[in-house]
Amino acid sequence: MNILFAGLTHLEALALFSFAVSLTFAFLSKRGAVERAKYFAWAFLAFLLVAIGIGWLMYPFSR
Amino acid sequence: MNEAVKREHSTGSPALRISVAVAGWAIPGLGHLLLRQWGKALVYFLCVGGLACAGLAMRGGVFSANPSDLFDRLGFFADLGAGGFYFLSHVIQSAGPDVAHASGDYGTRMFATAGMLNLLTVLEAYEIGSGRRT
Repeated sequence: MNILFAGLTHLEALALFSFAVSLTFAFLSKRGAVERAKYFAWAFLAFLLVAIGIGWLMYPFSR
Repeated sequence: MNEAVKREHSTGSPALRISVAVAGWAIPGLGHLLLRQWGKALVYFLCVGGLACAGLAMRGGVFSANPSDLFDRLGFFADLGAGGFYFLSHVIQSAGPDVAHASGDYGTRMFATAGMLNLLTVLEAYEIGSGRRT
């Protein structure tokens, strides 16, 4: 298992985190496959976009 | 069948509610499995278990029961939410934590998130058991 997860890049770790949290939220808050799929897609993309956006905003302060 | 009778039938006993909540906390998804919600049980087990195992495999830190400050205490309660994964964390993570690297830090957050997600699923299982939710 360590081999699978220990070498994850930042983006892969973010994608894994976003996938699991979005899927759980979709099943907790929505009913029906279509509603859940829509919510999952929206939340997953939002997680990725917001994290990447904040990463870009912080880039000038990393030096 | 009038509304009062329907409500009586749909309301689970306190023992059922508490049983599914404790089962769901101990093993993510088990509460829903006992309520015959197979799909949710599988998804919750895979998501919570996947996040917890990934966090431990990335050598994330697990907060102990002896917190030194408020942040540690909050982290302990979040981690404890993962139920069985918390108590097995030392077995799963045989190499111990390494939060000096970014992946270890991510692992700490992932494990705490798994615990918080599991607490949400436990609340849902409790509500389903009490008949307030389907």
